[in-house]
Amino acid sequence: MDKNRQGAKASYVAFFVFVAIWIMSPSFVRMGTREAFVEFQAPALHLVAKGRDLARFWELKSKSAEELAAASRDLARINAALELKVRTLEDIRQENIRLRELARYAAPREFLTIVARVASRDSTSWWHRIVLRKGRSDGVRPGCPVVFSDRVIGKVSLVHLNTCEVDLVTSPNFRCTAYLEGDEQGRIVLVSGLPANSLGTARAKIAVIPMDYLPSAGQSPKVVTTGMGGVFPAGLIIGTLDANIRTTQEGNFKEGTLQPSRNLFSLQEVSVLVPIHPAAGEILLEKRYEDFQ
Amino acid sequence: MRELNDLKVLPSTRIERLRLIFVFWLFSGGFIYIAGGLIVRQWLQSGDLKEQSDSQSRRIILKPPARGLIHDRNGYVLVENRVRWSVKADLSELQPEFQAEYRKLLAAEKARETGHIDREKIQDSARLNVLQRWLDKVWFVIDATSRNIRKNKLPVKSNPVDSPTERLVKIDDLKKHLRERRALPFTLVSDLAFPGADQSITPEEGVRAVARFVEQFPVDGPIRLDSDIIRTYPHGTLAAHVLGYVKDTDELPPNSLNDEKNELLQKLHYTGKKGAAGIEESYNEILCGLSGWELWTKTSAGYNKELLRKSDPTQGTAVTLSLDVEIQRAAEKALAQIKDSQGKVLPAAAVMLDVNTGEILALASQPTFNPNRLADRVTRTYFDEIETSGGWLNRSIQGLYPPGSTFKVITAIAGMRNKVIDWDDILECGPSYRVGGRDFPEHDPAGYGQVDLEKMLAVSCNVWNYQVGLGVGIEPLAAEARRFGLDTPLLQMPPTADNKNATELPFPANRGLVVPDTAYKLRIGAGPWTGGDTANTAIGQGFLLTTPLHMACVAASIARGETRTTPTIIHDPGRDGRHQSAEAIGLNGLQLAALRSGLNRCVEEGTARSVMIPGLAFAAKTGTSEYFQKGQKAHLAWIIGYASADNPAVAFCVLVEGQLDTSTWGGKTAGPVARDMILAWAKKTPVSEVKNEAEVPAR
Repeated sequence: MDKNRQGAKASYVAFFVFVAIWIMSPSFVRMGTREAFVEFQAPALHLVAKGRDLARFWELKSKSAEELAAASRDLARINAALELKVRTLEDIRQENIRLRELARYAAPREFLTIVARVASRDSTSWWHRIVLRKGRSDGVRPGCPVVFSDRVIGKVSLVHLNTCEVDLVTSPNFRCTAYLEGDEQGRIVLVSGLPANSLGTARAKIAVIPMDYLPSAGQSPKVVTTGMGGVFPAGLIIGTLDANIRTTQEGNFKEGTLQPSRNLFSLQEVSVLVPIHPAAGEILLEKRYEDFQ
Repeated sequence: MRELNDLKVLPSTRIERLRLIFVFWLFSGGFIYIAGGLIVRQWLQSGDLKEQSDSQSRRIILKPPARGLIHDRNGYVLVENRVRWSVKADLSELQPEFQAEYRKLLAAEKARETGHIDREKIQDSARLNVLQRWLDKVWFVIDATSRNIRKNKLPVKSNPVDSPTERLVKIDDLKKHLRERRALPFTLVSDLAFPGADQSITPEEGVRAVARFVEQFPVDGPIRLDSDIIRTYPHGTLAAHVLGYVKDTDELPPNSLNDEKNELLQKLHYTGKKGAAGIEESYNEILCGLSGWELWTKTSAGYNKELLRKSDPTQGTAVTLSLDVEIQRAAEKALAQIKDSQGKVLPAAAVMLDVNTGEILALASQPTFNPNRLADRVTRTYFDEIETSGGWLNRSIQGLYPPGSTFKVITAIAGMRNKVIDWDDILECGPSYRVGGRDFPEHDPAGYGQVDLEKMLAVSCNVWNYQVGLGVGIEPLAAEARRFGLDTPLLQMPPTADNKNATELPFPANRGLVVPDTAYKLRIGAGPWTGGDTANTAIGQGFLLTTPLHMACVAASIARGETRTTPTIIHDPGRDGRHQSAEAIGLNGLQLAALRSGLNRCVEEGTARSVMIPGLAFAAKTGTSEYFQKGQKAHLAWIIGYASADNPAVAFCVLVEGQLDTSTWGGKTAGPVARDMILAWAKKTPVSEVKNEAEVPAR
């Protein structure tokens, strides 16, 4: 027999042997291998992200003096507006503190904020995930909400030593309850990510919209978190409700599509809100539930 | 050939040749048989076999639709549907866990060396343990707030002694599910927002429980959040007897499936709901909608594998009732004020209807029930509570009572039409009237002296009616009662092919109505008719039996100057106000005016004066009849009438069953309910229609 054909046969055999070993190996071996691969990959992700930051730095550095002066002027204006806002907020904060002291009400601190750079994005639209450059060593835990400013980005699903993976709001693994802007009765709706086609737009569905809910004409009502589920703080913006609301065939509720509040695939930096005390869902995710029984 | 022969390839002997031929034909026959079988199977029987294969490997799951809404005449929702969040376990996904648990339990049993091992029992225990663990996790997520995690006060594992029933997986439920609906998910918590049958948690707590599960429980596991629709009655007990309630059923509404084509397929279904009383029952076919279906392939173990096709359920059609929610509320609130000496509400009924169209604006009955507590799973305690109080009976249409003095309007009309008396004739009315050797008493021991029609209606004089009734005779008196429809079934729906005797509300007391005459008394074996029977009938006592709705119709008919009113509980803005079998009342103008004037005087100066409404004149006739309750005499308090007096728009009837230890009188006991209903109507009616002389007093 031809030597080349013999070699090809051997490679097939090797491949099938490897697959068989992989299938037959115990789950801890597979999990360990996967974890090792992620940790092995982490420095590369860091390096790529740093490189991207460096490229951005040089891109900015190559701007002309005129461009920088214009940007500086715009920035100064924004800063002035923000300073004004900060002063107003500071007044409100002081008033809040005064009232709390008056009522002897100690404000519990629920979350620690960890700012994280986005290391990479999953380009396949099936998973709707991003990878952050913060992990277990930084205090990130599974189930933590991820936000940008007052916008919901997603929820941490997997945590590795130096990185973590975030299910975006359009991920099929994401779901939360929300209020719709303009619904004075404050009824909850259900937001859940949808599986999209490989080239399709990432989407999420808003279900159980009451039949008598009518958004104002020409407006896209905001969809905000309820704060009742114990994961997301109340009042964060998840996105807006698409104008195309339809009634389900059963005729009891309406459903619509969520437009995420940010372009989720162009994020550079996000905040992970780490609860000071673990939520029950986190305990379940970490399989520590039996410890509490 | 020679060479071949030389090589002895071909048989040389006869035996060998025969053997070869035999083998040849054996194989040929075999091949022909197989080829023939293949042709039969692939060509001739392919259709049947495919159908058989499909029926064995596919199944249809039917899904119940949401029921249609029920509105009042102004569009207010009386019955709606709310989303019910259920937590369900996918048993096919739990198979590996079941097996692992089974192996663990089996090993433990073997280690114990008890001899006989009941594998089926171990299998049940394994399933139960796994499901209970998941249910504990569900409640862990719902209960474990950050505060109790911080304080290390976490919920413990559920146990059969201390845990509420909704926190335990019941082996009987599980076995029944595996036997009947193995392919469907098993329900761990049937209503996450309202887990206990007693509805002891607040709506906010319920929403919080749903939110916690949604946000914290893993999405990609065998435990899922499922939503369906259940019936809810936002006004609680309001109009409960009219609305009815729903109960579980295995008979789902029709669906869009081609039954002939799918006859052989296995069909499973979720539990549906059907009307069990009131409009929910009588209009069930309209409210129920169309079932949805899903076509699944199934695994050899009987679990669902792949969804092939589906059709969503279609909601039932809405029904608009003629009830006015504000008048209904006023009626029920007023009825609830009528209590016995122990503070227990008295059984009572109230009806108000539109004089012109016959549409029922209020139909209340007391005691009542809360349909919300019957909509899902009714507890034995609550069922018995309703049973004991007599709350199932809709007294407005199902209660049969002697109408008492309210019947006197019919005696008076019969007297005038039979020319026994005229509108201005005066009769001498003493403290009693002797009939057949027996004194029939007046309710005022002093008697009323000279009484004409108007005064009779105002003071409700018995002796006047004894004289007129005896003068008319029982047959014309009974004929007059029948002319006003007191023996006519009410709330009839147009007959359909399926049901020729359908009624708008289930089981009105149409068969028990009694307008007595000589033939009736003989028929029931009570002997020949006597003058005393006529005297009793003339004042609405004796054998007479009617319902509050019938008496409200009598009042509406008199208000219009006709004999019949066809009541209806369904709102139709285009209703023309024509009433079935109605004819003119048959009195001249003076007679009719005197009759109406007498009813007005009843409120202004007579037995209903305690409930007079300043500035809003209305007409009424009170009644206090006797009936026997548990072998002892008790009173019934009645009031019928219409408002306003000059421009009748609504007619009413109120009945209260008096207790043995309470004094119950028409005007005093039933009157306030009528007054409150009239006020509720007047509040939302233009002043010009009410014809007020002064402002309607605010209440």
